[in-house]
Amino acid sequence: MTDIATVAFTLGVVAYSVASTLFFLELARPDAQLGFRRWGPWAMGVAAVLHATHVVGASLITRVCPIASLQFALSLSALIAVVVFLAVRTRFRLHAVGAVVGPLALTFLVGAQFVDASRAESSGPRTLLMFHITANLVGVGLFLLAGAAGAFYLVQERRLKEKKTGGLSNKLPPLDALDRAEHRLLLAGFPLLTFGIVSGAVFAGRLGASGGTELLRAALGYATWLLVAAVLVMRAAAGWRGRRAAWGTLAGVACVVTVMLLYAVRAGGAG
Amino acid sequence: MITIVGLNHKTAPIAVRERIALPKDQIARALTQVAARSHVGEAMLISTCNRVELVTAPRAAHGDLVATAEDAADALAQIAPEVERHLYVYIGADAVKHLFRVASSLDSLVLGEPQILGQLKEAFDLARKAKTVGRALHRTVPRALHTAKRVRSQTALGAGQVSVPSVSVDLAKQIFGELAGRTVVLIGSGEMAETSAKLLRNAGARLIVVGRNAARVSVLSRAVEGEGFTWERLAEALVAADVVITSTSAPGFVVDHALLAGLRRRRKGRSLFLIDLAVPRDVEPRVESLDGVFLYNVDDLSKVVSESLASRAREAERAEAIVLEEALGWERWADAEQVTPAVVMLRERFSAVFRAELERSLRGRLKHLGSEERAALELMLDSALNKLLHSPTRRLRSVAAEHRLDADRVEQLVLSLDELFAVDEPGDAAAEDGDGDTVDSATEDAARRATGTESR
Repeated sequence: MTDIATVAFTLGVVAYSVASTLFFLELARPDAQLGFRRWGPWAMGVAAVLHATHVVGASLITRVCPIASLQFALSLSALIAVVVFLAVRTRFRLHAVGAVVGPLALTFLVGAQFVDASRAESSGPRTLLMFHITANLVGVGLFLLAGAAGAFYLVQERRLKEKKTGGLSNKLPPLDALDRAEHRLLLAGFPLLTFGIVSGAVFAGRLGASGGTELLRAALGYATWLLVAAVLVMRAAAGWRGRRAAWGTLAGVACVVTVMLLYAVRAGGAG
Repeated sequence: MITIVGLNHKTAPIAVRERIALPKDQIARALTQVAARSHVGEAMLISTCNRVELVTAPRAAHGDLVATAEDAADALAQIAPEVERHLYVYIGADAVKHLFRVASSLDSLVLGEPQILGQLKEAFDLARKAKTVGRALHRTVPRALHTAKRVRSQTALGAGQVSVPSVSVDLAKQIFGELAGRTVVLIGSGEMAETSAKLLRNAGARLIVVGRNAARVSVLSRAVEGEGFTWERLAEALVAADVVITSTSAPGFVVDHALLAGLRRRRKGRSLFLIDLAVPRDVEPRVESLDGVFLYNVDDLSKVVSESLASRAREAERAEAIVLEEALGWERWADAEQVTPAVVMLRERFSAVFRAELERSLRGRLKHLGSEERAALELMLDSALNKLLHSPTRRLRSVAAEHRLDADRVEQLVLSLDELFAVDEPGDAAAEDGDGDTVDSATEDAARRATGTESR
């Protein structure tokens, strides 16, 4: 089993690297060759399968449920982002976003290796903990993808405002497609984030978390929720779309990533 | 091999080109007439706004290409004698290369324009329907289409737009993606504005025409198949708009910052693409500071066009290399194909000898063989024939391809084969051998070995 997990991890790293390179080349090359369009998603799909194999294999070795350990949770959130990307890529015309999702998944897959794989301690109800972590993982995956779409929106918008219309602009997704994708992903992730915040508050109460890092993490969690809520509400009420929505989303994603980093720092320290 | 005789935008002005531009329904008849000429066996007419070219092939496989081209030129001159001095002629390999360049849009007025590929396919279909396509065109035109597809997929020759209206549509797609269901507002008139609006409408957008003159608005909205709005409804049109094209002769700004900023809430923050084709400008430049508003004026659009053209010129070098590679490949293949008739005759000759001997044996000493053994025997002889001819066939083709044989050399080769094997007398194969028994015995021995039986 150890061999399978190790081989899957190594091949997963290679496949994510290949996929990222292919997506990047497609953006960077002056001429778009059809082959790249086909191979990038395939390589990413293979990487996702290897990634999942690694997570399952490694969790069996350590006898820890994948969602009960921060190491696997970090890895899984990136895997979810990849799976959602592959699922909505054609529908939302997000193909080029693969150039961000690939490296992101690679970073999370490799970065998770430096985090303690043991089970997270909790005194709360087990089932609620599982739901709490699962909701957070899927939510984080969706927000990562929304953040990538938002980043691409800002790049494309800037290029169009500056009248840089050739080359890269032709290969980036249309502005409205990016804006729509970002909005839908936020809409999908927001209920999960809400559940994660509420259930997280329950666990925080039971654990009596009061350290500086814990408080910062909780504050950032609430800030994320508020930011995403503000982006969604202002969009509906005041027509905040495009650039403002993209910046709001990116700010929310930055908070989410910081929260995860704080978890990682704590787990690293514990380990 | 083929020849091409014709004229294009480089060799003849439009007044001359239009003299020999035939309507589609007359092309089939014209092709039939050309193909009926003494030297021409195959014909295809490429007729576009920028070129009229008659692609022909000789009646015989190794026919006179120069005479064929002369026939084709004569046919064009008969339609309009004044075209004669504008005609160019390509023969053989040059004609093939020219056809590949035309298909790849390297010879077009607008480098890399995609229409030529469809026009070439249509010309080929028309020629096929007129039954003026034979072996030569059947092997050359599809190769030209293949080359063009390779150029399009492996270079950026067709990337970017090269006219203001098409750039406008391209930019609208970069902002909105699909244009179906989007609303385009046309303010004022002008050829470029109307063309842009029509292109956007063809992409699925809804059109609204706004103007101060109600009668003019009515005429224009009918012309572009849009909806007419009076000037008082400008704000309403702007609220609905995704794309606005302005081309009025107003001395001041028609769409200003205050107007758009005021409409922002009603527009719910949707993106707005403003195309200002007017001089003096219709749209206040400051509107660009608004979120989701993208303003392009004539200078901006012209800059995009010139960048695309420059980029295409760079890509043309890569495209030329592909065309050259394909043309050389075609030449090698065509050279090898020159010996095909000789190979076919040789195979027929050998096959006839083998069949005759087999039949004689099966009627004589091997008549006791059952159907399975007979089938095995036939299979064995076919296999022997293939093995026997494999090496000479391959060598013939390779010699022809490597040494670029001309028609005379091919003829010499065929004559040599004829001398050695009496290639053109297949009917005598069975009767000619005086020692039929010897052949019989050899065949029977082979049969015994193949079927494992003893003769009785």
